[in-house]
Amino acid sequence: MIKLNVSKSLDSVEGKINLRLNLQIEKGQFVTIYGESGAGKTSTLRMLAGLLQPDDGEVYVDNEVWFNKQNNIDRAPQKRKVAYVFQDYALFPHLTVKGNLEFAQTTKDTAYLEELILKMELGELINRKPATLSGGQKQRVALARALAQKPEILLLDEPLAALDIKIRLKLQEYLRQIHQEYNLTTILISHDLGEIIKLSDRVFVLEKGQIIKSGSPTEVFVDQQISGKFKFTGEVTKIEKQEVVYIVTVLIDQNVVKVIAQETEINNLKIGDKVMVASKAFNPLIYKIDE
Amino acid sequence: MNRFSGKISKIEVNGSLSLVTVAASERITIKTIIIETPETAAYLKIGNTIQVLFKETEVVLGLNQKQAISLQNRINGTIIQIEKGALLSKVVIDTEIGSLVSVVSTEAIKELNLEENQEVIAMIKLNEIMLSE
Repeated sequence: MIKLNVSKSLDSVEGKINLRLNLQIEKGQFVTIYGESGAGKTSTLRMLAGLLQPDDGEVYVDNEVWFNKQNNIDRAPQKRKVAYVFQDYALFPHLTVKGNLEFAQTTKDTAYLEELILKMELGELINRKPATLSGGQKQRVALARALAQKPEILLLDEPLAALDIKIRLKLQEYLRQIHQEYNLTTILISHDLGEIIKLSDRVFVLEKGQIIKSGSPTEVFVDQQISGKFKFTGEVTKIEKQEVVYIVTVLIDQNVVKVIAQETEINNLKIGDKVMVASKAFNPLIYKIDE
Repeated sequence: MNRFSGKISKIEVNGSLSLVTVAASERITIKTIIIETPETAAYLKIGNTIQVLFKETEVVLGLNQKQAISLQNRINGTIIQIEKGALLSKVVIDTEIGSLVSVVSTEAIKELNLEENQEVIAMIKLNEIMLSE
């Protein structure tokens, strides 16, 4: 269990904000922090990792004190069992993939490294330098490197934001797998609603340094509970009027679907909006695909 | 979508299905079948206020009160507006519970000679209605 009760005054692009957090994260949960840029998301992760010192408060993990302002306790980052993955990979350019992984290990464990290479499907890449890898490959290496530290807490700062949708979906699978297999407590920063709903048990919405909402992804993002069982979230890519109806094109994962809508439904809708598409379980037909 | 508010007046459960009756007014009830039970969905409680939702394209229009068809959800009303397209038309119907919209083929409008101020029955299949809190 992570207990974070801290405050920190930050200078962001939008001016000064007072980050005031009081949150608890159960061990083994996959949690997402969601919010606009400058809300204090990255600072939250950095304070947990020990890279940024809170002005006041305390951080407890499994009843161990990691930070306590009053008692002047501030555990060093390398003693926090936390691994951090960034959007820009941050791999060492002069080291090979294997070199990057080995460098991350505090105690050498070849068997574990082999396991990671296998699990993250890096076998063919181990002797390559980061510059020769694609974005998706680099991020797989960055993930493996994070795991090489045998962390208990995995911090992910928009790790997939720069990748295209196909690679993103694949890496989401990796994230889900490693979270479960290595019994991690994972904290993700993400703007991708589909990703959040797919991966997280719980979401914290951060606005100007304060948590304004928390709960399961559907509680947080879907305002209304609806009985329809055929429900997906996606992004509006096109709205066109056809006679007396509108055809709204929605991108759901990699699939493009079309929904007929009326003017009253599209009034507040624009391209790029996140939407829920819902139908009843009674409507869709189901076909077996011959392989 | 069409959206009306009502109170749950009856819930019949069998296995994981429920047949829910919602009273939208004293005279108009709307029935829906859903894959939820009072155990799986907290909003399934007699007397609870709930929204019934259904798509305009799922609303069937009829003229005669005594039609031998299986549709049980029937709402009487008067056409207040018809917007005709080449293939589809939008019909706005004034009912006891508010305006209801139906999208049907323009050909059907012609065949039934539907026009404004005419009385019609709007019908919706049981399985086309969703509930929302």
